[in-house]
Amino acid sequence: MTQPASRSVGHYQYEERDRTFLQERINEFEGQVRRRLSGELSEEEFKPLRLMNGVYLQLHAYMLRVAIPYGVLDSRQLHRLADIAARYDRNYGHFTTRQNIQFNWIALKDVPTILRELAEVDMHAIQTSGNCIRNVTSDEFAGAAKDELMDPRIHAEIVRQWSTLHPEFTFLPRKFKIAISGSPEDRVAARFHDIGLLARPGENGPLFRLFVGGGLGRTPVVGQELFDSVKEEDLIATLEAVLRVYNAFGRRDNLYKARIKILVQTIGLEAFRKAVEEELARMDRAAYRLTSEHVAQIRARFALPDLKAPADAADVLEQHKKADPVFARWVASNTHPHQDEGHICAVISLKTPGAIPGDVTAEQMHGLADLSERHSFGEVRVTHLQNLVFGHVRKDQLHELWQGLKALGLAAPNVGLISDIVSCPGLDYCNLANARSLPLAQKLGARFGDADLQAEIGALSIHMSGCINACGHHHVGNIGLLGVDKRGAETYQILLGGDAGENAAIGGILGPSFAEDEAVDAVARIVEFYLGQRQKGETFAAMLKRCGLKAFKEVAYETV
Amino acid sequence: MKLFDLSGRKPLEAASPVPFAEWKETRQGTAISLAPDVEVEELRSHLGSLTLIVLEFPVFRDGRAFTQARSLREYEGYEGEIRASGHLLPDQAIHFRRCGFDSVVLPDGANVKDWEDQLGRYQFYYQNTAVSPV
Amino acid sequence: MKRLSRPGEGEILLLTASRLLDGRIVWLGEGDHWHESIAEAVRFTYEEAGPALERALAEAEQKEVVAVYEVVARDTRPPEPVTTREAIRAHGPSVHPDFSYDHAPVREKEKVG
Ligand code: HEM
Ligand code: SF4
Repeated sequence: MTQPASRSVGHYQYEERDRTFLQERINEFEGQVRRRLSGELSEEEFKPLRLMNGVYLQLHAYMLRVAIPYGVLDSRQLHRLADIAARYDRNYGHFTTRQNIQFNWIALKDVPTILRELAEVDMHAIQTSGNCIRNVTSDEFAGAAKDELMDPRIHAEIVRQWSTLHPEFTFLPRKFKIAISGSPEDRVAARFHDIGLLARPGENGPLFRLFVGGGLGRTPVVGQELFDSVKEEDLIATLEAVLRVYNAFGRRDNLYKARIKILVQTIGLEAFRKAVEEELARMDRAAYRLTSEHVAQIRARFALPDLKAPADAADVLEQHKKADPVFARWVASNTHPHQDEGHICAVISLKTPGAIPGDVTAEQMHGLADLSERHSFGEVRVTHLQNLVFGHVRKDQLHELWQGLKALGLAAPNVGLISDIVSCPGLDYCNLANARSLPLAQKLGARFGDADLQAEIGALSIHMSGCINACGHHHVGNIGLLGVDKRGAETYQILLGGDAGENAAIGGILGPSFAEDEAVDAVARIVEFYLGQRQKGETFAAMLKRCGLKAFKEVAYETV
Repeated sequence: MKLFDLSGRKPLEAASPVPFAEWKETRQGTAISLAPDVEVEELRSHLGSLTLIVLEFPVFRDGRAFTQARSLREYEGYEGEIRASGHLLPDQAIHFRRCGFDSVVLPDGANVKDWEDQLGRYQFYYQNTAVSPV
Repeated sequence: MKRLSRPGEGEILLLTASRLLDGRIVWLGEGDHWHESIAEAVRFTYEEAGPALERALAEAEQKEVVAVYEVVARDTRPPEPVTTREAIRAHGPSVHPDFSYDHAPVREKEKVG
């Protein structure tokens, strides 16, 4: 091993061959850029090739999307991302709901150099876009959460490796997203992925519940359970079989009907399952068996945190909370219970009210990387709600971490609250957008920014997308906002009642769309109505069920 | 027509492939071409009479023939030549090779060096393919 | 080819593209040169724009630009695009005043850096 195992906890440690592979992949991309510039490749041919390396042509420049497999970064990687933001972007990085980071101001000619700088810290942009198997996402509290059944990251890494430059599945009908969680509380939106895996330990090794055909976008669909208990040794074979059926039969004549969800809907779950089972029956199972030796090899390349905390760590935290109510409020919203009594997971909100959701400056990234070294074994995770997590913080040191975050301007106490808004880049950056989403997210954040008000409202999610592609998951927010173009004007539809988790649901459209300021006012009226009418302890979803969409609609359109 | 050899098996230069539907009628020769929407099981009873199957790419982004090739090799046990034809990019060379293709019909003006470079680019791959084990 | 957008009263057409090498937005100016500032864009009538667009598309490869198309703008000085999307392309993202193209063209900013 070229690095001490203590360097990075929580993700796979690269071997020499992994590094060589990245170099070879960069050489390949560099050649493709060269052939594009010489005219050997047309734009039509180059586009899918650059997309497979995370390079989009956006509104103002190229965008580079860098993979953060299963959402885990180490401090040296975060430092490097900061350097890239400063040198090649305009000092910003943008964390996304897909556990990636995007740079919005990249020049194509710089991309090979950037990729080399990333490869030095074992990072890449492979398959972060394009019609291939995308960056595998996972639970942000993996390996730390108290409620976890098993750490999903080992298998996430196995799936990452298996999908990397897969010869058969690199030119699929459409993109293919896989998420994996090991918690009974679905924190990865497993039912909204092409394949969602929920892992649990079984008597003879791990078992995987497999959902297929979920997705958002133009046609939101809740994924269906294809198999209840896939055995570990059959995991790769099963993925191969599903992808093979999709590659052969997914539609290629219509971009909007090409996702696997449409195939599953068209032929029905039973027929799809039968087709997958037929593949499995024909397959040389030995060739695709995921052996326990292989799993052990991968597992051995994950370093575990050494969780030692003083016996009174929890008491110290309680004292800090008593002494400082502002800190106590942050702890109440921005932490999650850890498996170890002396530790806690800290969520760092990238949603400072009024700021751009998910945006961080190079200085903040450097600062966070330093803090993670001091407080979380140099490990930083990206959440599917555009926040960051320090997975293993000693309870007695949480106050110190919080002070460090305050100094970076990253101590907003709003995780899971109304100003923790998920938003896509929208028309300010995105080529496909109908309307801006960031200014609206900023206005809503500012409107509900008051910490007391947010605490009073309690858990409530707002999700915002600038077009029907639904990158901001507007369908699964308690309150969803969707930008639509109404004869050249930016307007916003409101959806209510979405849920990404165990009770997966797609929000219902309230009615005709609003102009920007009207939309902010309408959301405010909806929230007010909720505050006024809710019964004790009633969630937004529960009250919506009780009162019905129509009651909310009347309130939303009151003065318009 | 210029062929590029992927697997080291000598491509059958002289063969003139006939579309499968036509071949089923006439059974002329031992070389066919197959559209991407045909399931390879349909060939099962004929494979013994075939020495060349040409799989078609209407556009390079249409990856169905990769699955056809692997099914021919892995499920049907076909051992004759598999060839790729149509809109192809050298960037796909290793995918062809690893899915069981033996040769490609080079597009007009193709740069053979791009194809050669691509074949030798990677020292290892992350996944087993039953066709060309790592 | 898709039909050209038709400018209304007091409106003209401009041609725009993205530069292949860095993806930056450019506008077609005098002498068929692509410029970063919309102020340098040539104004076309509906009738002139068709042939100009065809020529620009034919030369796109050689001029190293991609995604060439026409934009409707008000005939002011400088011209002001009609849609929000094109206004954002002309002036920069609305959420980052410090990234505005109006005060410091991208090229100059980069030279300083
Ligand atoms: C800015 C450039 C972006 C472009 C051009 C883009 C493009 C797209 C498109 C075309 C779709 C629809 C795909 C389909 O339904 O077949 C989509 C869906 C999606 N994108 Fe983006 N996206 C961008 C940014 C983002 C960002 C910033 C995020 C994360 C915050 C994101 C995450 C997602 C997710 C989660 C979905 C929907 C879920 C699904 O796959 O069904 N994208 N994107
Ligand atoms: S939802 Fe639409 S506007 Fe927003 S990033 Fe996705 S494609 Fe762009």
